Amino acid sequence: MSIQLLFDALALGGIYAIAALGIALIFGVMKLVNFAHGQFIACAVFALIIPSTDAVAVMGLGRLPALILIPAVLAVGALLALAAEALVFRPLRNASPVALMVGSFALGVALQNLLLVLYGGRPKAVSLWADLGAPIALGPAQVPLLQLIVIVAVGAILLALALMLKHTRIGLEMRAAAEDFGMARLLGVRANRVISGAFALSGALAAVVALVLVAQTGVADVRMGGQIMLVAFIATVVGGMGSLAGAVAAGLALGAASALLQAGLPPEARPFRDAFLYALVIFVLLFRPQGLFASAGAKPRV
Amino acid sequence: MKLACSMLAVLALAVPVQADDITVGFAIAKSGWMEAYDTPAATAAKIRIDEINAAGGLLGNQIAVVDADTRTDRAESAKAGLDVLDQGAQMMVVSCDYDFGAPAALVAEGEGMNSFFLCAEDVKAGIQGVGPNSFSASVLAPVQGATMAEWAHAKRDARAAFVLEDTFIEYNKGICTGFEWMFPQLDGAEIVGRDTFKNDDASIASQITRIKSLEKAPDVIMLCSVMPGAAAAVRQIRAAGIDALILNGSAVDGSYWLDAVPDLSGFVLPVQGSIYGDDPRPEVEAFNKAYEAKTGARPTSQYAYPGYVLIDLWAKAVERAGTVDGASVTAELEKMQAEPTAFGPRSFSADLHHQNTALMQVIEITDGKPARVDEWQISQPVPLDVLMGK
Repeated sequence: MSIQLLFDALALGGIYAIAALGIALIFGVMKLVNFAHGQFIACAVFALIIPSTDAVAVMGLGRLPALILIPAVLAVGALLALAAEALVFRPLRNASPVALMVGSFALGVALQNLLLVLYGGRPKAVSLWADLGAPIALGPAQVPLLQLIVIVAVGAILLALALMLKHTRIGLEMRAAAEDFGMARLLGVRANRVISGAFALSGALAAVVALVLVAQTGVADVRMGGQIMLVAFIATVVGGMGSLAGAVAAGLALGAASALLQAGLPPEARPFRDAFLYALVIFVLLFRPQGLFASAGAKPRV
Repeated sequence: MKLACSMLAVLALAVPVQADDITVGFAIAKSGWMEAYDTPAATAAKIRIDEINAAGGLLGNQIAVVDADTRTDRAESAKAGLDVLDQGAQMMVVSCDYDFGAPAALVAEGEGMNSFFLCAEDVKAGIQGVGPNSFSASVLAPVQGATMAEWAHAKRDARAAFVLEDTFIEYNKGICTGFEWMFPQLDGAEIVGRDTFKNDDASIASQITRIKSLEKAPDVIMLCSVMPGAAAAVRQIRAAGIDALILNGSAVDGSYWLDAVPDLSGFVLPVQGSIYGDDPRPEVEAFNKAYEAKTGARPTSQYAYPGYVLIDLWAKAVERAGTVDGASVTAELEKMQAEPTAFGPRSFSADLHHQNTALMQVIEITDGKPARVDEWQISQPVPLDVLMGK
């Protein structure tokens, strides 16, 4: 495999891994597949520009220097997720998982239409950090700076998250909640704190995906995030529902497989890349129906 | 419900339809993402209707407009078609896109009425997909691809082309079909590579790697894509240091997306008329001004124009037929050969209710500024079997 391909695969896999982590975090603590995650990503993108239905976008938050912009967008994502938790998912907490899932779909549709009302249906240009696309020579490979940043940032985020989960009180509580929520509550873990924490983190991760997407593509579209949400959801299933490490590994694997298929398939088969990708997913699930890294909580008990 | 009823009542009051008016029904997206594409073309259609009414009307009657919202939803599109029918429509204007317009157009077809797609560029949006009384006033996507192929070969010495197709919608496929039909026929021209991507792909790094690993860098990249994927692809291609001329279809017209690729140069597309104030035909600029007077802003892309053309052509055919009856008007429309319009001549035939060739204006973006640089009409019409993808 050429170095070029390795970087292409890692960068795409990294984006999917971060998105999958955002879904797995929430699933871990409240068994909710948050189908509104894609719209969280879209909202974080649109937060960069001033609401208007004009064809030409005027940058709002996006005009700030990166040092302020990044935390601000992460905060937007986190606050949006917290608000969604408080207004939609908290009242539904004792509802069945199916009701929760339908609730998340409804929230997604509502958010998408809110964006349509505020910004109109036309995609908008968002020129954020255009210089990051410039290629850098690494041996025989020409790697866009953004790819390197994505790969490094994904590594840093995963490391920070792993440290947080291992060494902080909220991390311990989250892991306990993911293992057995009822038992964790009996042992004094505060449900609201853990669930809010998971939502805030998930929203911030959605904002990370949003920033990478915008820097890569330069456009904001109300439908964006949907495709990433789908891949990320599949990654959480392949990784084993509720397993954070599994979601990250499967996200990376799906991104890498997608890049490799794009590079390796013959031209006639390339339009059906995703069909091959999902055939691989089915193949994996045939052998490991519970996912690659099933969490203890996902196993049925006698 | 009560509120909805009273709103309907207000709407009905707002458009008083006289018994002897000729009624045109707009079953189009007034909400949802398609609205951004349907509204400009519908506005242009209404500008032409206003002009006709001011000049004494059609067959001595005023043209009245009724409308219904498809909400960018295929199922709602059929309902909107029925809705405008109930409101007395005698001709139906449907959504820009084939998928969203066809359900309403089929309702019109079932009544033997004429239907016009606002700007569909897929051959199915006509006889082949809807039925004998359905038309589109836009220029077929393969014509746009073929125009780019022949122009780039003649004017920019393009000999080696790379084709990058976005598999998102049929339109993209049409652009590439036209290019791949025309380009290899030209002297010394060769397609040196192909790849595909999806409009919402988070990254096209693998495709760019393929372009960069070609033995000889291509002279042109035919990018068959629409927003937002097209802007994303162009941004990534230019960021990777690939300077080849990039060609696209009319769908990316408008300067609204150019911030996505700062200081873009060497990007070319064909359009039916220039929105940038530099079209050599005074009628085009007169329309741009009329549009600005009506809406407060100039058209954001060329896709307002087909709306104006469709009413223009339909009204001429109605005058000649002396009736709005679908079959009679269709017969008159099918007689049109190089019928002059503000945006160039238009022809229909008993086989094709679309343009398989057209004089197109060539827009080039240089340093982030779009401008008309040339005009071009392909040397031979795109054959029907190519249009049908055979």
